[in-house]
Amino acid sequence: MNGDSHADLLQAPGNLDHPVLERSPSAYTPLPTYQLPKGEHRHYQQQYADMYFARLAQLKPAVEQIASEAWADFEIGGETASRKDRVLDVRQGELCWVAGTVYMEMPLKPNVLEDIGKEHWIAAPPPRVKYDSGVGWGGDSERGAHAGGGKGLAGAQIMLEDESGRLRLTGGYLSGGLLVTGAIVAVVGTENSDGDFEVLDLRVPDLPRQPPRWETEDGDAALKGKSVTKKRDNAGKVAIVSGLGVSGVEGDTLLLDLLMEHLLGESTDPSSQQQAASISRLIIAGNSLSHGSPIPSREELAAATKKGGRKTYGYDSSSYNAAPTDRLDQWLAALLPSIPITLLPGEQDPTSTSLPQQPIHAAMFPHGRAYMNPPTAPEGPGWFDSTTNPAEFSADGWRFLGTGGQPVDDVYKYLPDCEERLEMMEAMLRWRLTAPTAPDTLWCYPFQDGDQFVMKECPHVYFVGNQPKFETTVVEGPLGQQVRIVAVPRFRETGEVVLLDCETLVPEVVRFEIFDEG
Amino acid sequence: MAQDYTEWLAINVLNEQQLVSYRSLSRALKIHSNLAKQMLYDFHRKQNTKKPRAVHATYLITGTKRKEIPNDGTHSQREGDDTVMQSSPPLPSSSAPKPDEHDEEPIAVQTVMLVKEENVLQAKAKFESITGTHIYSLQAKGLGDLQTLTECNRKIAADYASEDPLEVWKQYGTIQNPKVKRRTQRRQPPPPRAPMVKEAVAKATPAAPTTKPTTLKKESSKDSQDSKLASKPSSAKATPEPAKKPPTTKRQGSDIFKSFAKGKSKAKAAQESQESAGSTPKTAPEDEPMASFSDEDDADEGDVDVVEDVPKVVDGKSKKEREAELQAMMEHEDEVMADAAEVASEQAEGDVNEGAIDKPESQAAEEPKETVQVENGRRRGRRRVMKKKTVKDEDGYLITKEEAAWESFSEYEPAPKKIKVPPTTSMNKSTTAAAGKKGAKPGQGNIMSFFSKK
Repeated sequence: MNGDSHADLLQAPGNLDHPVLERSPSAYTPLPTYQLPKGEHRHYQQQYADMYFARLAQLKPAVEQIASEAWADFEIGGETASRKDRVLDVRQGELCWVAGTVYMEMPLKPNVLEDIGKEHWIAAPPPRVKYDSGVGWGGDSERGAHAGGGKGLAGAQIMLEDESGRLRLTGGYLSGGLLVTGAIVAVVGTENSDGDFEVLDLRVPDLPRQPPRWETEDGDAALKGKSVTKKRDNAGKVAIVSGLGVSGVEGDTLLLDLLMEHLLGESTDPSSQQQAASISRLIIAGNSLSHGSPIPSREELAAATKKGGRKTYGYDSSSYNAAPTDRLDQWLAALLPSIPITLLPGEQDPTSTSLPQQPIHAAMFPHGRAYMNPPTAPEGPGWFDSTTNPAEFSADGWRFLGTGGQPVDDVYKYLPDCEERLEMMEAMLRWRLTAPTAPDTLWCYPFQDGDQFVMKECPHVYFVGNQPKFETTVVEGPLGQQVRIVAVPRFRETGEVVLLDCETLVPEVVRFEIFDEG
Repeated sequence: MAQDYTEWLAINVLNEQQLVSYRSLSRALKIHSNLAKQMLYDFHRKQNTKKPRAVHATYLITGTKRKEIPNDGTHSQREGDDTVMQSSPPLPSSSAPKPDEHDEEPIAVQTVMLVKEENVLQAKAKFESITGTHIYSLQAKGLGDLQTLTECNRKIAADYASEDPLEVWKQYGTIQNPKVKRRTQRRQPPPPRAPMVKEAVAKATPAAPTTKPTTLKKESSKDSQDSKLASKPSSAKATPEPAKKPPTTKRQGSDIFKSFAKGKSKAKAAQESQESAGSTPKTAPEDEPMASFSDEDDADEGDVDVVEDVPKVVDGKSKKEREAELQAMMEHEDEVMADAAEVASEQAEGDVNEGAIDKPESQAAEEPKETVQVENGRRRGRRRVMKKKTVKDEDGYLITKEEAAWESFSEYEPAPKKIKVPPTTSMNKSTTAAAGKKGAKPGQGNIMSFFSKK
């Protein structure tokens, strides 16, 4: 045109051709990893301890293999480390290594026995920023994740646990690394005179096997007997957003409108619209509603009891406000004709509060339901996929693993001095656990047969929603795995959407702003 | 064409003092969004040359902002990483040792900014490079709070809700997606009035009127409105009389119809309140009856009656239409409610389904074949058993013969082996369920079926 293309739309309507763009297609296969059985098959009578045993059983082989390779020739003072099967088999003065589950005893951690003793209703425990009182681990080193103010063991205590028993861990080495309850590790060292195990080195299971791109789709096709297509179109981009925070109060939803118009390709200029047309899928990673959780917070409960003292058994439906879900539904329905959406629930969304959160029910979306799969006969993935949290799916051949943020936020509470969310996310990948602190401080379903939170395969993209700011990096594994981890910020606060290019897995950010004169 | 938009904009912006965004214009004149943006610009320029500051505009600027100098933001985050990295590796791993500093991955950040016209120059100064600018909206007076622009989209959603996005949005310039999958629903959300009704309503009930498709549409169009909501329970309640006739003919005895109808209406009422989009305080009384047990039928009746009387007067739908809705709802089983009333309702529904799916003759007293239905953890049906008959002979001898006879049975599905459900709870469950079942379906067998288990 006339070289001044950015002002194209600042002119009178002329003979400019306005083509209608077409969106890039999105190849999508959701995986049912975190779906719980429905109805009567979901039982809550099991003990949670079984989960820990299952987790240990699943990860012990991996960590022991890594440990034995690393410490085969670990020698101190002429003594080589020997492997012990059980945690309680360690002997004083003997150099040995053993694998087990980490358990951290922290003063400010919510104590379920206390809670039950105090209150009759379920209310969310008071939010704590960090579980550790900050006194610290008492190790020699002052730096690192667990270092605290001074010496002394008034802070957290770290123990190693397995089916046989518990072993307290000490040593300056521990303060250097990230540890939370539920991580499976192998430690080498010796027992000292106090009966504590002094740790000299520590190993984690590290990243599991990573499937090559398109493995899910090719595998499915092979199973069904169809020919495996080698030729695929160029993948577009995937937009990841989280923390929409629709509250029904109309005071601040302009950013949502701007986002919607941009994704639809109606706003901005033609070159940006071209870019928007390459966005093949929108992933909403949690907290779409700002207050949809069914469990009242402490403040709410206090307000309710103060108001009249009228005890409502169960749920007082007269206080239901449909405006937020209505607004969200309208917003989604405006986007769905043009772009497929994957919706993960978050902490504040109206679905189960314990992990894995089950998909938000189709009944919440009367407009959006037409784009969802019918409940009885799901043929392939739905256009509008309301999925679990955490969620695992394959988009454009890449394996995505995402959560709404609760596991990372919980891990954050365990680490007194660490603010690096990316490191926590990386640690979770290396521990092979999507939710390491479940069931200790993170509510979850009592899995009986195996811990579903153990990652069996390494994803290509690991995204976590509702983080304070956008961060990203690439994590590498021992077998050459590469994982792009993305911390997605809350849209309501930052106005940022992450666009992930599905050919290169490089993210970029689109930020929506309203000019502030102040 | 040129005249249209000037006229339209003059009316709406100047005369009616409304907020007009490019989207409103594109919807009103059925044009591409980009064309609408240009028209806004043109109008804005012309009006302001005639009379300065007649029309105010807001602009949308897209581009890359300048990197801001303050320390917050991406830079310090990198530094934070560095210190932690250098002191000790955060997590011992067997992969290659981490580089001492994170490589500065430059992440492209595109900014889309909405600006009032008086601040445009200021805003543009913040950008390093601008990819595009266009007018977002026009208004006659100055705009106090930019948030009021959400009004435009809300109006669009309300005014043009009847349009089918897959058909008409192409002309507005929305990005089209050829692979979009949408299914037609029997129950339409408010308000698409387009006839996308699934016609698979071939149930073997004689009272299926042909007015059903049209009533479905009508019904759907008012689905989420309050009066409709309240009227639905009334319709559900009122229709037991006509609608029950088909199912009850399949069952012996019409005296059970009363308890049957109650269960059904409550089920319908609960279904409505759960499935419709906007729930209102009116649903509260509906919810309460649902939550209570079937023993409290009378009390609930009162409540439901009170609520329903008013809307009944308001909404004058014909019995047939209500009946049709009831049929539609019966077929559309989405929610499963978990309480005693639900058991009754489910059985009622299950029975209707049974009646529809099975041929009517299978419900007759003499059936030559064995049927077993598995529902909700109960096995029901008729089966052949050997029964002993003792007959007194002519000589006075008692002769016992075995013959095959039909028996109707209802028993529990074997409980899942994994979980050891204590025997007491299973007994309680079975007794209450059996009691509920007994109330709802005594026509199925005789009173002795109550004791058939164990």
